[in-house]
Amino acid sequence: MLELLNSHYNYFAVMVLLGIGLYMLIESRNLVKKVIGMNIFQTGIFLFFITLAFRAGGNPPIIKEGGGPYVSPLPHVLILTAIVVGVSLTAVALALIIRIYTEYGTLDEDKLKQLYYD
Amino acid sequence: MSLSLIEAVLLVFVLGCAIGAAVLRDVLASLMAFAAYSLGVSIIWVMLEAPDVGLTEAAVGAGIMTILFILALANTVRPQANGLFESISVRTVVLVGAFVVVMIATVPSLPAVGADGAANPVVSGEVTQYYLENAYADTEVKNGVTAVLAAYRGFDTLGEAVVVFSAGVAALTVLRQEVFA
Repeated sequence: MLELLNSHYNYFAVMVLLGIGLYMLIESRNLVKKVIGMNIFQTGIFLFFITLAFRAGGNPPIIKEGGGPYVSPLPHVLILTAIVVGVSLTAVALALIIRIYTEYGTLDEDKLKQLYYD
Repeated sequence: MSLSLIEAVLLVFVLGCAIGAAVLRDVLASLMAFAAYSLGVSIIWVMLEAPDVGLTEAAVGAGIMTILFILALANTVRPQANGLFESISVRTVVLVGAFVVVMIATVPSLPAVGADGAANPVVSGEVTQYYLENAYADTEVKNGVTAVLAAYRGFDTLGEAVVVFSAGVAALTVLRQEVFA
């Protein structure tokens, strides 16, 4: 187990980050904290991709004569796109939160449920 | 590749900030922990030889995202925190713990961090090698990431711009505003 941790450390961090993000999504009563949890979950997945693209002794994929070996640029591109999409998602979620607050006057999940069912 | 000291410190810092964001009761404190987390993650990207992702994460993840959250907090409410930490729900911890254990069970079948050759098909596969060998000849861009992002996958990047535009329109519609102000 310790040996596995030493060679696969980033993947363990990925799984724990997914767990923390999931915990926040389920358990945080404040809607803003739920969005923070969603972002942590996302970053965990990013770490998974960037770790797969990495090779020991590799250089960043800036191509020049005799510059290799390079890490794989393809997951980097994917994650760049995902970061920007993640920000768009956060912006829309926060706009919805502001609207919910102006309509209901609270961001507490339990109170919102009560107001909704009344 | 085995775990080096600096990477261990970074991972502990990042995980600590994430746990802080989860358990701190005050929303602003949780947000600050998240901003520190983003910064730590962007340093990890640089350690993993992904400087483009690191720059984007530092500017967008730690910068713009934090500003968006602070704007949202300024327009809503920061509930009075009684006590520093949230109470931990045992039921959810058990559920999430089971999820994490199942996910960790898949880790041994993944290539070791930093593996290359046949062990890690992502870095040594045909597709990656094709782009690395032909990117400069095809696009005259030296940065492999830019070459793929803007030239080979240019239409995907256009799609990304459409997503950002739609998000802006959606945010304005939800807030019932004509312009960002």
